[in-house]
Amino acid sequence: MGPAPTGEQLCGAIGEPEVMEPALEGTGKEGKKASSRKRTLAEPPAKGLLQPVKLSRAELYKEPTNEELNHLRETEILFHSSLLRLQVEELLKEVRLSEKKKDRIDAFLREVNQRVVRVPSVPETELTDQAWLPAGVRVPLHQVPYAVKGCFRFLPPAQVTVVGSYLLGTCIRPDINVDVALTMPREILQDKDGLNQRYFRKRALYLAHLAHHLAQDPLFGSVCFSYTNGCHLKPSLLLRPRGKDERLVTVRLHPCPPPDFFRPCRLLPTKNNVRSAWYRGQSPAGDGSPEPPTPHYNTWVLQDTALESHLQLLSTMLGSAQGLKDGVALLKVWLRQRELDKGQGGFTGFLVSMLVVFLVSTHKIHTTMSGYQVLRSVLQFLATTDLTVNGISLCLSSDPSLPALADFHQAFSVVFLDSSGRLNLCADVTASTYHQVQYEARLSMTLLDSRADDGFQLLLMTPKPMIRAFDHVLHLHPLSRLQAACHRLKLWPELQDNGGDYVSAALGPLTTLLEQGLGTRLKLLAHSRPPVPEWGISQDPPKHKDSGSLTLGLLLRPEGLTSVLELGPEADQPEAAKFRQFWGFRSELRRFQDGAIREAVVWEAASMSQKRLIPHQVVTHLLALHTDIPETCVHYVGGPLDALIQGLKQTSSTGEEALAVAVCCYDDLSRLLWGLEGLPLTVSAVQGAHPVLRYTEVFPPTPVRPASSFYEPLQERSSLLPRLDKPCPAYVEPMTVVCHLEGSGQWPQDAEAVQRVRAAFQLRLAELLTQQHGLQCRATATHTDVLKDGFVFRIRVAYQREPQILKEVQSPEGMISLRDTPASLHLERDTRQLPLLTSALHGLQQQHPAFSGVARLAKRWVRAQLLGEDFTDESLDLVAAALFLHPEPFTPPSSPQVGFLRFLYLVSTFDWKNNPLIVNLNNELTVEEQVEIRSGFLAARTQLPVMVIVTPQDRKHSVWTQDGPSAQILQQLVVLAAEALPMLEKQLMDPRGPGDIRTVFRPPLDIYDVLIRLSPRHIPRHRQAVDSPAASFCRGLLSQPGPSSLMPVLGYDPPQLYLMQLREAFGDLALFFYDQHGGEVIGVLWKPTSFQPQPFKASSTKGRMVMSRGGELVMVPNVEAILEDFAVLGEGLVQTVEARSERWTV
Amino acid sequence: MVARRRKRAARDPEDCIPSPPGYAAIPIKFSEKQQASHYLYVRAHGVRQGTKSTWPQKRTLFVLNVPPYCTEESLSRLLSSCGLVQSVELQEKPDLAESPKESRSKFFHPKPVPGFQVAYVVFQKPSGVSAALALKGPLLVSTESHPVKSGIHKWISDYADSVPDPEALRVEVDTFMEAYDQKIAEEEAKAKEEEGVPDEEGWVKVTRRGRRPVLPRTEAASLRVLERERRKRARKELLNFYAWQHRESKMEHLAQLRKKFEEDKQRIELLRAQRKFRPY
Repeated sequence: MGPAPTGEQLCGAIGEPEVMEPALEGTGKEGKKASSRKRTLAEPPAKGLLQPVKLSRAELYKEPTNEELNHLRETEILFHSSLLRLQVEELLKEVRLSEKKKDRIDAFLREVNQRVVRVPSVPETELTDQAWLPAGVRVPLHQVPYAVKGCFRFLPPAQVTVVGSYLLGTCIRPDINVDVALTMPREILQDKDGLNQRYFRKRALYLAHLAHHLAQDPLFGSVCFSYTNGCHLKPSLLLRPRGKDERLVTVRLHPCPPPDFFRPCRLLPTKNNVRSAWYRGQSPAGDGSPEPPTPHYNTWVLQDTALESHLQLLSTMLGSAQGLKDGVALLKVWLRQRELDKGQGGFTGFLVSMLVVFLVSTHKIHTTMSGYQVLRSVLQFLATTDLTVNGISLCLSSDPSLPALADFHQAFSVVFLDSSGRLNLCADVTASTYHQVQYEARLSMTLLDSRADDGFQLLLMTPKPMIRAFDHVLHLHPLSRLQAACHRLKLWPELQDNGGDYVSAALGPLTTLLEQGLGTRLKLLAHSRPPVPEWGISQDPPKHKDSGSLTLGLLLRPEGLTSVLELGPEADQPEAAKFRQFWGFRSELRRFQDGAIREAVVWEAASMSQKRLIPHQVVTHLLALHTDIPETCVHYVGGPLDALIQGLKQTSSTGEEALAVAVCCYDDLSRLLWGLEGLPLTVSAVQGAHPVLRYTEVFPPTPVRPASSFYEPLQERSSLLPRLDKPCPAYVEPMTVVCHLEGSGQWPQDAEAVQRVRAAFQLRLAELLTQQHGLQCRATATHTDVLKDGFVFRIRVAYQREPQILKEVQSPEGMISLRDTPASLHLERDTRQLPLLTSALHGLQQQHPAFSGVARLAKRWVRAQLLGEDFTDESLDLVAAALFLHPEPFTPPSSPQVGFLRFLYLVSTFDWKNNPLIVNLNNELTVEEQVEIRSGFLAARTQLPVMVIVTPQDRKHSVWTQDGPSAQILQQLVVLAAEALPMLEKQLMDPRGPGDIRTVFRPPLDIYDVLIRLSPRHIPRHRQAVDSPAASFCRGLLSQPGPSSLMPVLGYDPPQLYLMQLREAFGDLALFFYDQHGGEVIGVLWKPTSFQPQPFKASSTKGRMVMSRGGELVMVPNVEAILEDFAVLGEGLVQTVEARSERWTV
Repeated sequence: MVARRRKRAARDPEDCIPSPPGYAAIPIKFSEKQQASHYLYVRAHGVRQGTKSTWPQKRTLFVLNVPPYCTEESLSRLLSSCGLVQSVELQEKPDLAESPKESRSKFFHPKPVPGFQVAYVVFQKPSGVSAALALKGPLLVSTESHPVKSGIHKWISDYADSVPDPEALRVEVDTFMEAYDQKIAEEEAKAKEEEGVPDEEGWVKVTRRGRRPVLPRTEAASLRVLERERRKRARKELLNFYAWQHRESKMEHLAQLRKKFEEDKQRIELLRAQRKFRPY
């Protein structure tokens, strides 16, 4: 018996075997069933927990064998560490094709070969006469303009060759592609076929006929077209086997010309092969000006001729060296995780293989190197070599007839020539793509050199999708707009070269324009590469505008984001005209304080959050000005999440300014405290200890100006009290400030007496502050509340030796030793560690202005999921800080949005069981210390809390997670984060706009057993709710400072008081969940164990009743009375108690 | 399910309410409006032979499962029908000893939030206990004549109570400190008197206050001494001087590597089991 499974999510959480606590017993049978599948997937057989290694002395100190010594030495030389070596080996095992699968693929290839050579030939016809094509197949090419000279006939291929990575053994899972080159017989082609796309038309027709015949064969599961590397003039035919092997392999057929058919000199980058007269129907200006060169077109033709020679080169260089092959495979994984290899103009695996060949030929890589070393060398080379400026070449001959590198640089942005010296392998790669590769390589190199973290995991196993890697992204949605942009930018030669592909034609100029405009705000601009489409053979090839949207990612430079000014040249300089032309009407003449009169652009931005969005203004302005792309087509995703941390009615700011005002007021107060005269002991330190003072309070405090009619005044203690007949007054949380007093021999050495002396100081402090500075104060035994400029501070006097006094234990022999007690730990946490943490995070905010936004969004989300009370403020702040201090493989986030996504990723993937989260505040921990912490962690795992966060000040105990969360709650958070992340990413990557961004912030309510609905009248923070109510109650605040200077109502939050009572009374029986930011509902979950009938025990009768069951007296929870108690305890606050009694049985 | 339970609850008062052996069950409700009730389990307070208890035997009623909204006053009122009540004490756990009578300072020990509690009710006469055991109920905590505050009412009045009176606090602190100072002064005077004076067996007590103070007897101090000793010894030792030392340090290095390798292997095994090596 026991409650029925509590929703899928939570029962998954409970059913899972956990580390720290035995899983709750008595989960329903269904629950186990639901989670069993997951368990077999996620749980290792050995409990999923690392054990400290125990080796016997004999094993440790036995004589080493030669083999062992060799292995150890090799590890030391060739790899970073033995762990890395093992990791790399495992990874390669995972991505490599097994021999069994290879055999199946080989068999399939033989079948394909047989069928391809048996395709019947057709008689010769004009190229434009395509009536012979059967009805079920369409030509996989846009034939624009349609008219073209030449004849075509189909003949079976003269030769069928497997080319590419499959033969080399460097192809990696999951997408296994086998490239097959079909050499077209010479009879099909004619002279001058290189001109005006004739060769490409024939190639397409050749494929169309082939496709028609192969599609009828039962051997193939699917036959469809695609573009080779996204180049839309060069379709290829994809064949997949039928049956269970369908996903195993894709065979791509590429027709290619017979060797030596094209004269290489005709295809140099300076030559024209697409005549304007043919393409545009007119000759260029008629006056004999030369035809524009068509470098990309020429390259595409050349690529087809070089397929086999490239394969030969690769197999001679890489063939025998396993290390090189491993290196290529690792590099492919590296590119894949960064989404660099996919799409048109991607930095493909083929390019990397050629790069390895280049490095081998220049003796930068030796054939005996290990895969890891190859990876390192290639990354090092990429990081330090800019191929957009200094191209490289595999060509060794010094033939004077070969074109110079400079010619290539003129035609292409990235230059890497193959061994013939005529073909640029990187022709389609844009400068931005290459810069992105370079940037990633640099980041990876620093990561590899830092030695601190698990480089392997971060480098090769962590995906970096665009939305999580870049601070802001923008989508250009209807792509057809780019066609107009091409005309506006006068890109006709490029269009002619690209065969009308306006997306690739416009991409380069567009990125250059934006890079120039964003200037110092920008660290890196990257663009998504148009995906390579696949389509059925009976369909027309997709249009350029069908490839979805173009997405640009901006990586921002935080220091550049603070300025609202774009400073131009002085007005009389010649550059001024250029500046005006670039910025258009936004450029104004301005006179500056130093007397200079300059051109300048000023953007409107008042607050931090608006300044962060200046790039939005820049982008829309420049695109509208220079490319005719209107604002409606630019979907800028930079701050949709800001709305969740904006204060009431403040849509212009995300609260950084309001927090700064509060911090400023605190600084004033601390100065007053320092200068206070008449205290018996001087103040030795004043330290903030509240989330506001480290910029991580979700909703910053506003100055309180109470309306006196709304409250009951208590004049003799100059305080206001809430009134029964009014709605609950505004919630004012005092900000804790710790005030250390100097040490003195006069302090008593007894805990009780120290408490009294502190109380005396609190009273004195209140008196002096009132006397000397006229501040309203209220002293209690443990703190003094001070009202200053509408902010309320709670000053706690602390004595440094007090925790020590609490720790002192006298042994029977009279030896005094120090032992931690709960009271001493608590005091130490509040008066020592909390102020240290607050100041460290305050410093972090100064370094990274986005920290505040990220930490607050993260906290907001956790609280909105009703889990806020299980996680301390500090622990969530530290997790957010980890995103900034250990951003690898990313860089520290510069916008709340990307930071929040990474928070979700971290939470959903971090292995809390086997790793501590090390947050190296102020970089105080050395690498050695971190290693020590990790090993100490493993040894002490069972005594540590479920979630362990280590900081330099707190290396052993993880104080902020000591009291929770429990394993189940943490698991629940992990599950929720894992669900929210893909959902939110999908929303943000949707080019039509993100839709309702608050979806992921709404908690699932169907998992709770009882819902207690609260009346908004008594929820003081009702307006902070995720879905902000249209109307709420007046909370007794004035907009102007009123005459009342009485102490406002402090910390009065009925839902919290209610929860406290509930937890105290029913904490053994149920868990309570609530969102403190204006939640209207409390979720109650019965504890499964407490519902099991128990024998009578005097100590555990709480809320239970005795029943006779089967002749035996047992105790069960008195559920009906408890449900009524819920209403009784919260009289006035509780609206209804919804019991979902179908969910449990007693 | 709930409907069935409700029916049974309605039938219950007529039947005998099940109660554990030795206890009597008394239904208790907050007010008339509630339908279901909690049950107080009561019995005469008694202890086994040999155990001491400060509660008067025979006259004390031991009450289990007192709901959170039930205060000492209301319990006293509810049971006064059985006989004159001398005192009521609510506690978190059953405790044989009476809590110290002197009231704890409300400034330094704020009242905890109540949950379900146990109570010791002392009647003036033993007959009160037996009358209480026969009580049928249901008891009502809050009636029109004696309303008990809950919810918003309670929180607002709690808040008003929590606003402290600085004068009272000052007075309390001053009286405490005076007493404390006096105690310290006495102790010091006594120590001074005893200083240097041998006791009956002739031992002289050496304290930190005398003319020649000694090391304090704390753990930290003794650890410090030990550490100094250890360092002194380490300075004298020769490292890698003899061939066997050399050999041993090499072996030690190898053992470290082996241990590391074993650890790594375990880690890999774990990750492999979690499918953490699949980069897609």
